[in-house]
Amino acid sequence: MTAPTAERATIELAQKGDKAAFELLLRAHYDVMYRIAFKWCGNQSDAEDITQNACIKLARSIDSFSFQSAFLTWLYTLVINTAKDWMKSHARHPSKELPDNHRAEQPTAENAIFANQTMAYIRDFPDKEKEALFLVFGEGLTHGAAAAVMDCKESTVSWYIHEARKKLQSFREVECRHG
Amino acid sequence: MDERQLKELMAGTESAPPRDAARERAISQAMNAFDAVQQEKQKKFQGSGLLGRLKDRLTDFKRRRSMTPRTLTQKYGFAGMATATAVLLAMVTYNTFDPYLGAEKSLPEPIVETPKAETKQAPAAEAQTPSIVFRGSPRKSEPKAKSDSSNISGLRRAGEDITAKTYQPPQAVVTTPRAAPPAMVAPSPAVRQRLSQRLEGKGAVKLPEATSGIRGLMGGSVVNPLLRDSVPNQYETSGRDQFENADQNPINLVAENPVSTFSVDVDTAAYSFMRRMLNRGVLPQKNAVRIEELINYFPYAYPKPATRERPFQSTVTVTPSPWKKGNKLIHIGIKGYDLHPVEKPRSNLVFLLDVSGSMNATDKLPLLVNSMKLLLDTLRDDDTVAIVVYAGAAGTVLEPTKVSEKHKILAALDQLRAGGSTAGAAGVRQAYALAERQFDKEAVNRVILATDGDFNIGITNREELKGFIERKRKTGIFLSVLGFGQGNLNDHLMQTLAQNGNGVAAHIDTLSEARKVLVEESSSTLFPIAKDVKIQVEFNPKSVAEYRLIGYETRALKREDFHNDKVDAGDIGAGHTVTAIYEITPVGGTNRLLEDSRYKSDESAAASNSPHSDEYAFLKIRYKLPKSEKSNSFTTAIIPADEGTGSSEVQWATAVAGFGQILKGGKYTGSFSYDDVLALAKTAKGEDEFGYRAEFLNLVRLARTASAMPRK
Repeated sequence: MTAPTAERATIELAQKGDKAAFELLLRAHYDVMYRIAFKWCGNQSDAEDITQNACIKLARSIDSFSFQSAFLTWLYTLVINTAKDWMKSHARHPSKELPDNHRAEQPTAENAIFANQTMAYIRDFPDKEKEALFLVFGEGLTHGAAAAVMDCKESTVSWYIHEARKKLQSFREVECRHG
Repeated sequence: MDERQLKELMAGTESAPPRDAARERAISQAMNAFDAVQQEKQKKFQGSGLLGRLKDRLTDFKRRRSMTPRTLTQKYGFAGMATATAVLLAMVTYNTFDPYLGAEKSLPEPIVETPKAETKQAPAAEAQTPSIVFRGSPRKSEPKAKSDSSNISGLRRAGEDITAKTYQPPQAVVTTPRAAPPAMVAPSPAVRQRLSQRLEGKGAVKLPEATSGIRGLMGGSVVNPLLRDSVPNQYETSGRDQFENADQNPINLVAENPVSTFSVDVDTAAYSFMRRMLNRGVLPQKNAVRIEELINYFPYAYPKPATRERPFQSTVTVTPSPWKKGNKLIHIGIKGYDLHPVEKPRSNLVFLLDVSGSMNATDKLPLLVNSMKLLLDTLRDDDTVAIVVYAGAAGTVLEPTKVSEKHKILAALDQLRAGGSTAGAAGVRQAYALAERQFDKEAVNRVILATDGDFNIGITNREELKGFIERKRKTGIFLSVLGFGQGNLNDHLMQTLAQNGNGVAAHIDTLSEARKVLVEESSSTLFPIAKDVKIQVEFNPKSVAEYRLIGYETRALKREDFHNDKVDAGDIGAGHTVTAIYEITPVGGTNRLLEDSRYKSDESAAASNSPHSDEYAFLKIRYKLPKSEKSNSFTTAIIPADEGTGSSEVQWATAVAGFGQILKGGKYTGSFSYDDVLALAKTAKGEDEFGYRAEFLNLVRLARTASAMPRK
């Protein structure tokens, strides 16, 4: 799998030390990185911190990207690893608060609250299951592509997803009974 | 839960988009890291003596100054300009400024040549726009075409032309939609400008053929009309820097409100912040301008007090107002008693240093470490220093150590690395605990907090933190706050903490500023000679109709607070000068802004028989000696005999006050312009040993240019 020409050229330039090229790369991918980070931790300020760390990491490791995989795939791995490290170093669970108060005030609040609760529940899953869910359903990767990011077999990804969905199913049933 | 539901769930929960400020911060930090990596790579080739250079200290001042952001901005190829084009320089930085510009390391290190090589006063040299040559390259790096442009718009157009010439059709982009999401098509003007410079082929890095893709992208951005709008607004109205909202003091009718009370202020943070913005070519946001801090930034040669028992001397001058005919300015100058070196008490200092991830920029942690080293050189051998850092967690890096064991302190400083988020409150506790352990009744016990911003973890409750610092102040441990960097700075919090801790808040943006605060003024920064200094002026309704205090908006006190010793106020350190200026309209003035009350009592007629009827006002100053809880006070009548044209010191303060008021919107200064400020300031520049005043003149010119920029 090779990167598209312009992207590849940009990356190569950045690897040679071209600042502007690197900045282009950053600006082009910041939002994607943020999105992954946000899914992982569930609130804006943590997501911003994680993305910031990931950006710094990118600066240090851009040299080691060898065009063996798609840049985006490589980037996913980088962001997710950063997020894991960050969570570990902060030794606290991802915030279970609703990301923003205004969500609860919206008319369609009920669905949103439920979605947020579910997301908060997912954030407590084992890292691998969480990662598989985010990559496949959040980023739209195939099981195979997710496997490349997670550095495991495709069947393993499918298994993670299966496990996660089983848990989600029971979570939903419990929630609905109470609700 | 089926796939569709899961996908919706994942897609729908992203409720908070990334904030621009966070994005910019992340990118800027990544660029810094990128630079660091590149520098590392280069070092492998060159075996550069960077570390060695960092080790020599004061002696190598000039070269290390090249690491400060301002000079580095100049490195960008705008060097070689004469002083007269300093204004142009600012305009170029306006276009190219970005936070990480200051950290560009992939180009060869510049050697800064100051016009006056023998002057060790860095600020003077800085104000004169040093010329920079690249090592190993005899020619100046500034292309002729640019310095020839005589006005800003011309310059900007010239810059765009250059870019336009290198524009190539973006064929590559078409085939690669993913590589060109919106963010990529519209890079910041800064990127554009920098890449265009790179493309001029004078940079150290020769672009390989493959660049055309990017060149295309960049070139494409030039024709994007959106970009023109992305030039920052004239005033920095927003951003993450937080300031207390303060309008200028209003005009008061003496008949209604004859008494004005305020606390002294010796902070200078607002000046550094203003300088930073002006050097970027933007006017500072109005709330960031605190006129009294601009005025008090400068040392003034007021008459000194004779003894320590009466710790300061006031000098009052009444001059005609330069911006409003018929009005007068009452200029109150206070000079603190200066300690002889032998009198200086021992210091017990605890540095509380922010090493959170955001400090990871050239103008933050490295500058902080260098500043601390400077301060270290001014300390005595039996002083103690301890270092507490805070980031994700707070920790003691250095137990209290005698300055005589300097190598230990330096080693601790050199090991500081930035990372993690900020847990300031925990750090504050730990620092005070250390200071208490070493507490010495005879010594100056002080915590020096250095940070770039907010405390975002731990006790974020400002009141709680304030209360804590206030309680500690009463036990004799004071707090000073040094602010670093910009973009994340919580100015208001800094001010509040320093005010509650009987200390100063200073904003350090360059090593020369660090030197001013920590070396030149170390005795005033460290040794208080009077605390809770309050000033009250009562105007005589017989001779003064209206008055207005210039500046000190955030320092106003209630009339009854003056005599209340429980009410905290500002402190004066050894050798400090404090200046306050009132603008008054004498009775009978034709240009009054307020009308007399229709039902005004006739007391003034009675007062005319009193012996004080010709006085303008009565000045009362109340203060406590540093170790006392009881106030002393002294008083002076302000009489017509104080009138005159004013010394150059008075004139200077007036010019700065005028400048500050214009920056704040010029509500009361009529047609008084930057040119008037310049004219007044030039005549009053005086000896200016350290070049602070020369720098000010340049800032006024920068402001004049910035204000001439077309508004968005």
